[in-house]
Amino acid sequence: MRADITLTYRRPSQASLGTYGHLAIFGWVLGMIMLTSGYVVIVAGVLCLSVSALIYPNPFRRILRWRWLIWMLLLVVPTIFFLGEHDSVFAGVTYSSEGLTVGLQIAVRFIVLIIGLQNLTRAVDISSMAGLLERFGLHGLGFAVGVALNLLPALETSAVQAWYTLKMRGGLRRQRWRGCQLLVITIITNALKRAEEVSLAAEMRAFSPEKSRPFPIEQGPLDRASIGLMILTCIVLALVHLL
Amino acid sequence: MKFTTRELTTLAVFGVLWGIVEMSLGTVLKSLNIPFSGAVLASIGLTVAMIGRLYVPRRGSTLFIGVIATILKLFSLGGIIIGPMVGILSEALIAELVLSLLGQPRRRWFVIAGSLGVAWAMAQPFVTNPLLFGRSLVSVWLNMLDQGSRYLGIDTSAAWIIVVLMIVIHLALGTVAGWAAWRIGQELQSRTGKKPTYTASTIEQPSKQYEG
Repeated sequence: MRADITLTYRRPSQASLGTYGHLAIFGWVLGMIMLTSGYVVIVAGVLCLSVSALIYPNPFRRILRWRWLIWMLLLVVPTIFFLGEHDSVFAGVTYSSEGLTVGLQIAVRFIVLIIGLQNLTRAVDISSMAGLLERFGLHGLGFAVGVALNLLPALETSAVQAWYTLKMRGGLRRQRWRGCQLLVITIITNALKRAEEVSLAAEMRAFSPEKSRPFPIEQGPLDRASIGLMILTCIVLALVHLL
Repeated sequence: MKFTTRELTTLAVFGVLWGIVEMSLGTVLKSLNIPFSGAVLASIGLTVAMIGRLYVPRRGSTLFIGVIATILKLFSLGGIIIGPMVGILSEALIAELVLSLLGQPRRRWFVIAGSLGVAWAMAQPFVTNPLLFGRSLVSVWLNMLDQGSRYLGIDTSAAWIIVVLMIVIHLALGTVAGWAAWRIGQELQSRTGKKPTYTASTIEQPSKQYEG
């Protein structure tokens, strides 16, 4: 019950944004970190994180995982030691101050990007995203994504079962390559059978991707304002960047 | 890019399969820091996508499969990182371009599409890292050399040998992907009672494989 409440909770500012609004916020975040350089990146990053904290609940939860921290270190640490001359010393270890500056920028960009993407995927549901892409020329994507989501658990079970069956019957002891091929063929055949059932059911209900309406997109009162803000920020930053 | 209901469900199947590979195997390989995990993932994903191309032999089908896999990866739990998503989309786009531009499909076109698609896994950091994280090309290059040196056991002073070997490994994996896609696709079609549909007459028309 508690988990349900956490999942469905939305801040008023988040509720005022629709799919376009959330995408605009993500675009704004991307523009802010990609079109700035030097120490301005850090200022831009702090601004992006503050806006994220205002709009989305628990925006920094995922970045605190070990996995992301290790990824970030892998991106940042080589820069500190390989870029520029080693002109500074900390605790007996020499490092490049230029590398440290660039490393800090990379870390900020990484954190902001991960948080921006995480907030977007938590705020926008998969059908809205499919509906949006449908409006941009990928007709039938909403239906295909719906089928894909429907197939996902069944396919995972079927793949695991096929793998264990092959393993228990010694299919991988000799002719491993052949065994792998047969595994792939079994999994895909099962999946295609299931897809055949789904498409038959859809056709029985007279479904046609050409005549069907695209998935609805959630809209909010602040969508236009956030799109305007994104465009304005990107234009200003691009001009500053060019000049 | 308009597909029939049956084609859409078939594309969904192959998109899901690629998505499952990325969500399960991808997470494991990345967590264990297995060498060339990106190339391995790309080759498996492209194999699936190109088998899908054999089933829905129309322009845009490989890209469509890639888009479905990207959406699934985007919304998978704990799997949000921009690299794999850009990777899936770019690999699908490269395979789509090759298969659409080279005309009459052949095993060799599949091999070329697979090779170029997997080779992108090596080139991708040079595009995404400077663009998204502001890293310099030199640091990306040094990072790649360092990785190659560790994986191949060659000193970093032999930079060109490392790079050439890495390119060869990526191309070889892509070749295997293309070859396997063609072979598995043909066998799959014969087993499921569907004749190969990838002929000149069906390239620009809706697939007839389920009709009648």
